[in-house]
Amino acid sequence: MSRVIMGIETSCDETGVGLVRLSENDAADATATGPRVELLADEVASSVELHARYGGVVPEVASRAHLEAMAPTARRALATAGLTLSDVDAIAVTAGPGLAGALLVGVAAAKAYAAALDVPLYGVNHLAGHVAVDTLEHGPLPRPCLALLVSGGHTQLLRVDDVASKITELGSTVDDAAGEAYDKVARIVGLPYPGGPPIDKAAREGDPEAIAFPRGMTGPRDAPFDFSFSGLKTAVARWIEAAERNGESIPVPDVCASFQEAVADVLTMKAVAAAREYGIGTMVISGGVAANSRLSALARERCEAAGIELRVPRPRLCTDNGAMIAALGAHVVAADLPASPLDFSGTPALPVSTVTVR
Amino acid sequence: MKVELTTHEDTVRFGRTLGELLRAGDLVLLSGPLGAGKTVLTKGIAEGLCVSGRVSSPTFVIARVHPAGERGVALVHVDAYRLGGDLAQLDDLDLDTDLADAAVVVEWGEGVAERLSEDHLLVRLEREVDDTRIAELEPHGAWTERALPG
Repeated sequence: MSRVIMGIETSCDETGVGLVRLSENDAADATATGPRVELLADEVASSVELHARYGGVVPEVASRAHLEAMAPTARRALATAGLTLSDVDAIAVTAGPGLAGALLVGVAAAKAYAAALDVPLYGVNHLAGHVAVDTLEHGPLPRPCLALLVSGGHTQLLRVDDVASKITELGSTVDDAAGEAYDKVARIVGLPYPGGPPIDKAAREGDPEAIAFPRGMTGPRDAPFDFSFSGLKTAVARWIEAAERNGESIPVPDVCASFQEAVADVLTMKAVAAAREYGIGTMVISGGVAANSRLSALARERCEAAGIELRVPRPRLCTDNGAMIAALGAHVVAADLPASPLDFSGTPALPVSTVTVR
Repeated sequence: MKVELTTHEDTVRFGRTLGELLRAGDLVLLSGPLGAGKTVLTKGIAEGLCVSGRVSSPTFVIARVHPAGERGVALVHVDAYRLGGDLAQLDDLDLDTDLADAAVVVEWGEGVAERLSEDHLLVRLEREVDDTRIAELEPHGAWTERALPG
């Protein structure tokens, strides 16, 4: 028996609809550690360009963009998978964390689909989705595993005992998210938004050891698994101001390489330390910043040295999408967990410990 | 009025003093360049208001609500950095709180958020070459009659 799960994601700028097929494990396959989940479709509509036209994010415009993209994106996903709505056996939707007005649209759409199709509805956690998506590429997750989530809005270190039901936050950023630091440093050095790709590109021509930027939250009395990137951002601004005062030209590639080294160094150092502390043998890195070349290279190097298996989903799956929510929904369905009540609403600050809204 | 804040802790302490003075319905606008200490100051304001939840940069979520603690006043921490320049529809953010029962702090709010209320306190933060911060307080409307920290 197999079931089709539709996943809906509207926590920020992307309207995503994904479809996955959940298959029962072959009873003879004793090595399976989780459900078999196969990706059928992954359609995303982004309102980033729309926001650029307005010169920023306008909350009402964001909600309207989700509203307009919702049904067409769902239709495209079904067409890609060669399915119709009546083939859908369950709906999963991001219940949080995210922008309130944006979450609202996805949650309302998911309720409508679930009610119209008379199928169960699961309000799930966006952050858990970033972890679950890896199973679409690398198969079932070992238990436990460690997850490092790095994006424009989130920087978190998670212990994942069961992606469908038991996730513990080991640490998170105390100020700026890692991706946000990229965006702000890009602005300081005059590179475009979003800052990740242009900084990564400029850094390839630069010397990562040219400038010794600070590694935030790495002192002996700092929380071992929390992060801070605000001081790093300020250090970059100060360095550039000092260079300008002295009439020097700004070596943008060196600044980018040194900044990127500081970010990748702290992220991988703390993630590996957490894996060691908890005796965890597998690390998943996900979220938009996972596509950063230096982060993945340094993580690979350090995980290898520490004997940790590293899993990084392909970039398309790392950024926000509906497939990750469908993948998480499949795990929740496979675990026979109860569906969410139809009267739940989106929760902007949903804690990662709440994988499914009850 | 100008206040010199030499260390990170000075900025938090100054914010705490300001937070202790805040009441429901108050509006505080923070301005200053990247790294001036706007979020650090807000950490202090949150302490002074005794609200719950960790204060971190609200840039990505635009606004974060910190539920009221023993003082009965919530904190709405807004970041206008990514907004298109119109905060008049702050209610459109679907903040899960009544703005009348909260103190509202808006980072990058100068020139954007004044229309929320004529009565507001503008705090301009500047970072000096030696990393000292200067906080300049500019009271507007009813704030000109009120006690200021520092």
